[in-house]
Amino acid sequence: MITAEWKPIEEMVGYLRGHKKVLVIGCATCVAECAAGGEREVETLAPLLAMAMQNDGNPVEVKSATLERQCEPEFVEAIAEAAAEADAIVSLACGIGMQLVAERFVDTPLYPGVNTTSLSLREEPGLWTSRCAACGDCVLGLTFGLCPVARCAKSLMNGPCGGTRTDGMCEINQDTPCIWRLIVERATARGRLEDLTQVRPPKNWSNSPAGGPKRMLREDLRS
Amino acid sequence: MSLRAGTKLEKVLAAGHFALTTEVGPPRGPDVDAVLKKARILKGLADGYNVTDNQTAVVRMSSIAGSKILLDAGLEPVAQMTCRDRNRIAMQSDLLGAAALGLRNILAISGDHQGAGASGKLKGHPGAKGVYDVDSMQLISIIKGMRDEGLQAGGDALTSKPAFFIGAAWTPLGPPIEFRVLRLAKKVAAGADFIQTQAVYDIKAFAQQMAKAVDMGLAEKTAILPGIIVPRSAGMLNYMNNNVPGVVVPQELIGRMKDASDPQAEGIKVTLELIEQVRELPGVKGVHLQAIEAEELLPEIINQAGLSPRPEV
Amino acid sequence: MANNSTAEFQPRITLLYCRQSLAPEVKPVQGSRTGQGFSVRLVLLPCSSKVQLPHLMRLLEQGSDGLQIAACPEKACQHLVGSTRAEKRLNRGRELLEQVGMGAERLGLERGAGLSLEDLMQMAGRRADAARALGPNPMKGV
Repeated sequence: MITAEWKPIEEMVGYLRGHKKVLVIGCATCVAECAAGGEREVETLAPLLAMAMQNDGNPVEVKSATLERQCEPEFVEAIAEAAAEADAIVSLACGIGMQLVAERFVDTPLYPGVNTTSLSLREEPGLWTSRCAACGDCVLGLTFGLCPVARCAKSLMNGPCGGTRTDGMCEINQDTPCIWRLIVERATARGRLEDLTQVRPPKNWSNSPAGGPKRMLREDLRS
Repeated sequence: MSLRAGTKLEKVLAAGHFALTTEVGPPRGPDVDAVLKKARILKGLADGYNVTDNQTAVVRMSSIAGSKILLDAGLEPVAQMTCRDRNRIAMQSDLLGAAALGLRNILAISGDHQGAGASGKLKGHPGAKGVYDVDSMQLISIIKGMRDEGLQAGGDALTSKPAFFIGAAWTPLGPPIEFRVLRLAKKVAAGADFIQTQAVYDIKAFAQQMAKAVDMGLAEKTAILPGIIVPRSAGMLNYMNNNVPGVVVPQELIGRMKDASDPQAEGIKVTLELIEQVRELPGVKGVHLQAIEAEELLPEIINQAGLSPRPEV
Repeated sequence: MANNSTAEFQPRITLLYCRQSLAPEVKPVQGSRTGQGFSVRLVLLPCSSKVQLPHLMRLLEQGSDGLQIAACPEKACQHLVGSTRAEKRLNRGRELLEQVGMGAERLGLERGAGLSLEDLMQMAGRRADAARALGPNPMKGV
């Protein structure tokens, strides 16, 4: 899922000074799954923002809504009325959902209530870890189903660097496994360690965010 | 045998001498004198002098500029280049610039991650965007392609071929241990002419990894120089053992430093023993000797190890 | 807050209590009560695990000066980890309240078994003391 995490409330307060009627909106898909922008989080943040603004000396009226999906125009329509009454919107959806709302209600300032951070898996309750970097050139077929682009701190393509800790974790975070250690273990278990001995050439990043904004066109689906 | 780049380091190795490299960390300022001061202490003592590339993500004088200062002072530099700060375009451009300045030993490494953090009082740049467009393996092959084919990574031709003696790093004792020799083999296949290893203290474990490398024929295709860092206290060894990945320090060595009445003298003694021990291992072609922030100890150590004067080649 | 005004301030507390934490002979009560220098609204919960942040934050937004949760002892929760989870959520709530300038101490949890109505009133009183130190909820009357 796309993961996000709340911005510091202080930052949201900074955005909202001068506004009077705030609409806090969430999205019931990815950001709900990662406990950043579902109904529960929206209904927690809305009163908190009211209190924060009151204590800041800038009282606001706060309303709230959680959309089925903030990245689909028909679902965004559901808040048209509430948005028309608000003079600012705080969105807890990912950057995609936020931008659709900003586009639909172009005269109402939209402020991010979250930072969109990763494409992650909920590994355990309360723990999400990276799985994908949307690099546009998937290598999972070469790396035994474990992604070194998203899960190696240096996105190495040819094996582990010298920073693997004695216990097999990554030097930059003692709770993050060295993904190359896991790749080697899986290759060994399959009797295919040999597969990892081939030098992989420089990666083509042109289909990743580094290559510029994506424009994916499918003529067969166009009307 | 025809030489790749004809650097002193390459010639020393080609002639079958036991090679010696050491390190000169550039200053955190544009201070030529700081580089020259280290150069004066170390001149004539080694066949190559590694100039580090913003290690621990703390900004220092560029390794290429530092290398050029050493070269002009009569020391042969090994310019380090990490994959952390530049994409393949900037790297190749800097490589051409290095070649133009007469720098021909290049050590291609991944580089300390910007988030791994500077130690001590330094902050580093944990908020920097790490580049890692290519990894060290790919950088080695890019340098080789420039040198041997006269081609850029993108396929365009260079107007002439830069001569490089290509170095790479090896962490023989890091996990997953079974892959470390295979990774060395990849670096050799990619084009590494010489290898400097992470600091070695556990000679027994290193000997096992070396034996595998020799069995695979790697020690003939590349010159392996184990890294030795002069220990200066039990605390330093403990720190490295616990905090520097890939460095394994036997407890008896830590104990020995702890019990020493003069830790510095003991550290020198330990260093001399380590040099002697790795020298006896089949396939070892030299040492990469470092005395971090204590370069003044090196002349005595190198003399006592019988590694001075360096061969004329 | 000047001393004389805090002395006059009678905190309004909401006490949410787990039914299981009461002594068997005590009949669950709901509604408002008056204590020594505070008032309290008692809210019965089937388990403390039922408390959710949106509910707690709404209560504070609506002007409650302090919220006290009465939960069973950690090992005695009928849902095993219900009260532990409630406490974790509460801690997050306390952090957030600190961030918005309300003060973490407006929200708290106490554990107990075989509680009487008097015990609940004392728990509410302790939260009232904490709220008194923070002064009236700025949201009151907004």
